[in-house]
Amino acid sequence: MAYLPYLLVAPSIILLLGLIAYPLVFALKNSFYFWNLQTSATPVGFVGFANYQMVLASPAFLNSLINTLVLTFSGTALEFAFGLAIALLLSTRLRGMSVARALLIMPTTIAPIVVGFLFRYMYDPQGGIITWLMASIGLDLPAQGILGSTNTALLAILIADVWQWTPFFAIILYAGLLSVPVSLLEAARLDGASAWVMFWRIKFPFVMRTALIILILRFMQLFNTFDLVLVLTRGGPGTSSRTLGYTLYQQGLIDFNIGMASATTWLVVIIVNAIVGLYIFFAFRKWEW
Amino acid sequence: MKMRSSGVSRRQVLKTTIGTTAGAAAYSLGLGGRAPAYAQGNATTIRVLSVEDPFFFALRDVIGDFTDQTGIDVELESLSYDAMQARLVTSFVSNTSDADVVTVDQMWTGQYIDNGWIRPLDEFAAGDADLDITDFMPEVLYSLNTWRGHLATLPVAAYAQGVMYRRSVADQLGLDIPDATGSWTWDAYTDTIAAMNGQNVNGTDMFGTVICGSQPTPIVHMFTQAAASYGARWFADFPASPEWDFTPTINSPEMMAAVDQYARLYDLSPPEAINYLWFDAGTRFSTGDIGMFYWWTPYFYLIKNNGYMTGEPSVVADDYGIAPLPVAGSTPQVISLGGWSFGIPSTTEKADAAWEFLKWSTSAATQKAMGLVDTYNYQFSDFARRSLYDDSDLTAIYPYLGTQAGMLAQGNGKIARPPAPVYTTLEGIMGLELNKVLIGQQTAEEALSTMDDLFLNTLRGNFLIPYSLPSFDDTPEATVELINRLA
Repeated sequence: MAYLPYLLVAPSIILLLGLIAYPLVFALKNSFYFWNLQTSATPVGFVGFANYQMVLASPAFLNSLINTLVLTFSGTALEFAFGLAIALLLSTRLRGMSVARALLIMPTTIAPIVVGFLFRYMYDPQGGIITWLMASIGLDLPAQGILGSTNTALLAILIADVWQWTPFFAIILYAGLLSVPVSLLEAARLDGASAWVMFWRIKFPFVMRTALIILILRFMQLFNTFDLVLVLTRGGPGTSSRTLGYTLYQQGLIDFNIGMASATTWLVVIIVNAIVGLYIFFAFRKWEW
Repeated sequence: MKMRSSGVSRRQVLKTTIGTTAGAAAYSLGLGGRAPAYAQGNATTIRVLSVEDPFFFALRDVIGDFTDQTGIDVELESLSYDAMQARLVTSFVSNTSDADVVTVDQMWTGQYIDNGWIRPLDEFAAGDADLDITDFMPEVLYSLNTWRGHLATLPVAAYAQGVMYRRSVADQLGLDIPDATGSWTWDAYTDTIAAMNGQNVNGTDMFGTVICGSQPTPIVHMFTQAAASYGARWFADFPASPEWDFTPTINSPEMMAAVDQYARLYDLSPPEAINYLWFDAGTRFSTGDIGMFYWWTPYFYLIKNNGYMTGEPSVVADDYGIAPLPVAGSTPQVISLGGWSFGIPSTTEKADAAWEFLKWSTSAATQKAMGLVDTYNYQFSDFARRSLYDDSDLTAIYPYLGTQAGMLAQGNGKIARPPAPVYTTLEGIMGLELNKVLIGQQTAEEALSTMDDLFLNTLRGNFLIPYSLPSFDDTPEATVELINRLA
């Protein structure tokens, strides 16, 4: 009977290993082989760390990494900030909030590839609504268009992503705000607490745990951004908006260099896990588990 | 016919299974060699994966004829260019291909044949009088459909490249543009564009031209036409050589002239063309503010619409002419050939039915029927068969067919974009470096030097320098010999 607990959890563990560990181990093995589907349907030979060396020596990798980090950190921060602001607004008893809540979920339900197409049209230098709006308020837009300039291409992807995923933060954080006891807020109000004090001392601590979880989930998701890049800029102009997700797509599904794509995959796994590990260490160390 | 049908009924499965089993049984018993299941009265359904280029829409409209004629049902599914290659390769590698006919780009042909993913068609074509293989333009078969002396696929749409210009703009500005029988140089072409650029014609501020700037594939497709015209070559000896030598020859004066030329054209284009894909350039021309540009021949008809396959006429529909591509001095003209072809996956158990489909879809009768489809304002004239360029019904709709035939006859797709085994990787490198030149991140000299280094590393890294596998002297003459052998 001592083994019963292990037996009961064994199916889950096996399933988990099969679904998570096997692909990763398979990719790890491939990363040490020369395997290019353009020249051979099967792995040709063991090449040690050559694939890793080639990936790290490629200027495109460093560019992609920098762009990915910029996009991921700024995207996560902006979506959280805007999401929190919207959540606070939703929690007020203003007219039309129930409709706003229903509408808010819509961007999150659209496939990123569709969002990409929508924004491609909206950024169109010939009559795109975003271009028109920005020009109308006197902003000096690049002649090549928002998507065609090295200065604005990554920003354009960021804006599209923020548009789509801010509601996700808003809804989750709004749910967190609902858990704040009304009696606590009433007591604070009777004690003369200002709105800022009520937010900072009461509401924010309540949504903090939820926020920490969705921040890291969204960070990991954003780190692999690919769809928007493919539709909006294809990583260009130059490499100004190329992300690691797009580089992986290029290596794996355009160049069909399975060895290099596997090596890049593992580098991404290492980088993301290092960042997530540090985040968990610092963010969750005061948690009582 | 069924479109994008993902579900399969039990009846279909039963029919297919019975058909396949009966065919296999007949074959194993030696009852007439390749005895097709459909010929024995059993309904067969084949699955066709097609890329969604203009030919797809015309084919879709006439595909019922195939079922009427053969009793074979067709499930036709369309995919984008990138998605098609990704889906095919992953399904071939994992042995999960569910298609009986697949669309094959000329750059994928060698990869698919060498890996055994598609069947060579020699056995099917040899002695099949219905195919009428001698009617195909040899330049097209050479560029699109042959690999190592074998017929790998059959062309369903063949493209060359040519110049389109606004007649009213040229007339108003007094610019001479040669007709189909004339010729001009790239310098004259650029001067004409420069003369159009910035002019106000009938109230429209004109750009001289429009290019494709988006990396990697669109920019390479357009640039390589200029490069081929200037006499630039990618490799020391490929494919027309008994000993293939993939040493890159990218960093050459001819390639430099082509890069400079392309950068000049971008200066005379709308700045946002840096992000233009294939259709963006054509669609921009059809809006009426572009004086002249060169592009794939399907745009000879696509620009008649005000958007991609809209069926609504554009403002330039009755106001454009076709002109020959410019040449670079005395360098013999080479026109880039492209298009789409159908092949038969090795995994299909319905190869005979698939072959019937290939023959039917590429036949003169079907191609003509596709050209006569008017659903989208007549949007298909990409014929690979010589006989259709003289067809009076078709020339009445597509008056430029004679010019287009001349462009195809000057075509050599294996020079413009040589189908080396790692072509897509090289295309990615070229596309990125060219794009950087256009946005001013590097000079043409730096770009060619980088390209040459990266080409060399890539080709060495993939064991293509030195080339140790058997070579094949892949010349247009070898294709003519193949045609004669199969006829």
